[in-house]
Amino acid sequence: MSKCRLKCRSKQQREEKQLEASVDSLISRVAHLKSALHSFIYKLENEFERLEWPSVLDNFALVSGQLNTINKLLRNEKTPSFRNQVIIPLELSPDRDDELAKLTEQRVPVFSHEIVPDHLRTKPDPEVEEQEKQLSAEAARIGPEVAQKQIQTLNKLCSNLLEKLNNPRDDRDPETAAMRQNKPSFNPADTMALVGAVAFGKGLSKCRPPGPVAPGHPGQGPMMSGGPTLQQVTIGGASGQPGGKMPSSIKTNIKSASGHPYNR
Amino acid sequence: MEAPPVTVMPVTGGTINMMEYLLQGSVLDQALESLLHRLRGLCDNMEPETFIDHELVYLLKGQQGNPFILRARHSLSHPTVPWHLRYLGQPEVGDKSRHALVRNCLDVAASHSLPDFLNEMGFRMDHEFVANGHIFRRGALKVVVSKLSRVLVPGNTDNTERLSLSYLVELSVLAPAGQDTVSDDMRSFAEQLKPLVHLEKIDPSKQRH
Repeated sequence: MSKCRLKCRSKQQREEKQLEASVDSLISRVAHLKSALHSFIYKLENEFERLEWPSVLDNFALVSGQLNTINKLLRNEKTPSFRNQVIIPLELSPDRDDELAKLTEQRVPVFSHEIVPDHLRTKPDPEVEEQEKQLSAEAARIGPEVAQKQIQTLNKLCSNLLEKLNNPRDDRDPETAAMRQNKPSFNPADTMALVGAVAFGKGLSKCRPPGPVAPGHPGQGPMMSGGPTLQQVTIGGASGQPGGKMPSSIKTNIKSASGHPYNR
Repeated sequence: MEAPPVTVMPVTGGTINMMEYLLQGSVLDQALESLLHRLRGLCDNMEPETFIDHELVYLLKGQQGNPFILRARHSLSHPTVPWHLRYLGQPEVGDKSRHALVRNCLDVAASHSLPDFLNEMGFRMDHEFVANGHIFRRGALKVVVSKLSRVLVPGNTDNTERLSLSYLVELSVLAPAGQDTVSDDMRSFAEQLKPLVHLEKIDPSKQRH
């Protein structure tokens, strides 16, 4: 029996020690954070003229890092739950307490009934509490069926929105949307018809009566399949015959140019 | 040595042998706006240029051999500007290392009496068409997007009928002979128009029949 009591006491002592240690480390971390904030605020207020944006970001990073370590510390398994600790104000007095003022850097000079509820508050601010109360009253007013319906609607909206955000190119740009539907923007047959039309007048009405040239070869000679390439045409006589309606002699030479790149 | 070919004969004192590098494609009417939008973004910042041209293709036939072809073009929207006479040589498409069709090209500005003059010379009109559309430029590159229409009554350009439901798209560059590097520029530009339009090196002789 006494052994058990001893054990309990030692356990209690250990817990107390642990609590003290974690409170100490928490205090030191908070002091670090405070000094970082302090120097940052000082910089913002006094050195804002030559403060560079990167250094502002550095300060933010420092503060956020320190907040992170504090959070980590609080979440640590070895840290006892501070939530379970109760703080009770033992004495309230309207008189000035110098010791307290020194501890709090002149922020809290008296420990009176006026400020204690604010400093030892474990609940949200009164305004926040009021809002929360309103919200919960509203939630209670709505029946479970209506609530379920609203949840479903919200879920639907969210999933629709997510879908839209995940496929940003759809809908927004009608051009790409059309492209996605694989709607062709050109027709190879049309290309061929148009090229034939500009090259040989294919598909265009012929104005001339069928001449000596075979209808199969209305334009240039068949060059691509054979070896000869550069077509050379010299018109002789036409320039020297004023008034002559038809040139008397037309010399057409088709030269087989062996050095041409086409023959390679 | 025989007489030099027409294509290299002096024009205005110079003997520069210019070649036209050409890629062709087409775009359906409903995708035209998308293409124009893209071209406006890709090409030089300039006022949108549109045109309506009437092209007449003339042949000069000899006793034997192939006829000689000249193309006469004039603007219908600006009737006072000079006519444009053009000779195009045989297209060369065989060279695989070259990314574009290449042909000799000779452009001459002419007076309004050009059709009469050609007739007097013995040329006869083979066919005619009306092309209307848009021109874009990017540096030396020229992009022409045009709708071709056939002329129903010869000589009457008011009475036309469109040839197809697509616009012809031509990407061309004029360069001195041998400057094949321009065809690389053309290919990279053509890549940027995909998949809206596929500009290709098309052998026109395959379209003859």
